[in-house]
Amino acid sequence: MSNHMSKATPLGVLDQRILRKRNKRIRRQPTLAWYLFLLPTLLGIAVFMIYPLAESLRLSFTKGTDERFVGLENYVSVLESGTFWYSVYNTLYITVFQLLIAIPIGFIIACLINNLRRGSNFFKVLFYLPNVTSIVAAATVFLALLHPDGPLNYVVQLLGFEKVVWLSQPLSAKWGAIILSVWHWLGFVIIINLANLQAISSDYYEAASIDGASGFKQWLYITLPNMVGSLTVLFIIGWIGGLQRFSDAYMLGGLQGSPARSLHTVVGFIFERGFGGHEYGLASAASYILFLFILVFTYINTKVTKMKI
Amino acid sequence: MLSATGKGKLISGLLILLLLGLGVLMLYPFLWMISVSLERSSNIAVPFPPRLIPEQFSLFNYKLVFENGVLFKTYANSAIISLFSVLLSVSSALLAGYAFSRGEFRGKKLLFFAVLATMMIPFEARLIPMFSMFNDLGMINTKYPLIFPAIINALGIVLVKQYFDRLPEGLRESAKIDGANEFTIFIRIFAPLTGPITATLAILAFQDSWNSFLWPLVVINDQAMKTVPLFLSSFSSENGSRLVGVTMATAAMSILPIVIVFLFLQKYIIRSIALSGLKGE
Repeated sequence: MSNHMSKATPLGVLDQRILRKRNKRIRRQPTLAWYLFLLPTLLGIAVFMIYPLAESLRLSFTKGTDERFVGLENYVSVLESGTFWYSVYNTLYITVFQLLIAIPIGFIIACLINNLRRGSNFFKVLFYLPNVTSIVAAATVFLALLHPDGPLNYVVQLLGFEKVVWLSQPLSAKWGAIILSVWHWLGFVIIINLANLQAISSDYYEAASIDGASGFKQWLYITLPNMVGSLTVLFIIGWIGGLQRFSDAYMLGGLQGSPARSLHTVVGFIFERGFGGHEYGLASAASYILFLFILVFTYINTKVTKMKI
Repeated sequence: MLSATGKGKLISGLLILLLLGLGVLMLYPFLWMISVSLERSSNIAVPFPPRLIPEQFSLFNYKLVFENGVLFKTYANSAIISLFSVLLSVSSALLAGYAFSRGEFRGKKLLFFAVLATMMIPFEARLIPMFSMFNDLGMINTKYPLIFPAIINALGIVLVKQYFDRLPEGLRESAKIDGANEFTIFIRIFAPLTGPITATLAILAFQDSWNSFLWPLVVINDQAMKTVPLFLSSFSSENGSRLVGVTMATAAMSILPIVIVFLFLQKYIIRSIALSGLKGE
């Protein structure tokens, strides 16, 4: 608009000429500098991303230390392996319940904290504390908490139930891992939910108050619908992280995911076959299968996130 | 009958009580860990029924941790690894994020897409070749494999780009007219403005590095080179079932540094976590 106007006067023409000259000078600046800014990142991507990914793909078609080509044999072995599918089942089982328990509880606690007029910072710190500690330290404590004569069984007995053997029996061992992962992740869920709750415009609530809607109704009709998007994103973040779970299950169940492989996860399978058994080809094939799984969910995640924006 | 404000006060009082109860439940595993570690007899039998106040208070278990001393060696290892990882990851992200925000060059979109794509690649898909690579370089049981890969910080680049996008373009133009080159502009004008985003990136990178477990487990097996989680993991699997008291003291000491850091920087840390999650991690 202003350009169009300025062309009309002689002074405007002069302005235009200076402007064009300046633009030219900027354009003439070598773009090489920008590649130098990117050099560390591009170097990292080449060495620690592209090369290992390609090498992993190549290894997945080979077998043995001589790396002889075996075609799809490794993929077939993985997909026919009962141990692999059991590790998939364990991973999904623990993750599904972790998310189904942690997300609603975390959301409700976040809503409660969000209603506080004072002290919300204190509670954020309190609830987030477990999440800053390493899962290794958390699991070390849970190994003792889940002891047959430990505090958790004390509570179980107080409630009038039989003692649970926790880490000695497959089903209860998985639930031990679920309790640990819920506890460790809950703080993250709360912080993310709080950030999203605070992003909801207060205009909605003011309008609802004027119309005489109760606190619960406001929560049901304003908070909940506004949070569906971010809860979905949280679910997918947790899902992708959960598919890669290793440390918690490894700490509770060791290399083989004891008892009876009930805590053996997909990454545990890759780790055991790769570094325990030196079956690089088979482990690489399994890691590519995991990669494909995750790619699908990441794709869904980007779709959902875009939808929200 | 309660007045409206009285009722409001009652409800918020109950709310605080409820949250306090839940908060204590949340901290219970750690409180119990500390109590067991301070109990003289806990290596023989874990106190049952559980109690939070030790019956025979004793620092014996901590004395054992200090006398053993390995934990402090692992503090030093983890601290050095985290420090250099943070430096590498933050500086790499600041440089790249600036280029993607202000730069004009061929392939910008494609390269930015490549950076985003790295976020979709699980570490496990690269695990074995990464190990072989560092093994071939003779770097197993050194700090290098735990530091170098930090150079890729895709989330950091996205956050930095967004941060620079919000700064006015005029800042750069005036310096350009004066003939300053891109590096001078970055160092003199933009770098001093990056305090808040640098803090966020440093916090996220520190937490990642300090708590990392799978990768150190693969590349470190020498006791003297272990990081804190690695040492705790092996200590716990060797002694956890027999010597619960010492194991809890070791666990408590292992989380002490990051808990102190957290309590001092809680406001920044919580903000950083929220930011990382909002962007989809």
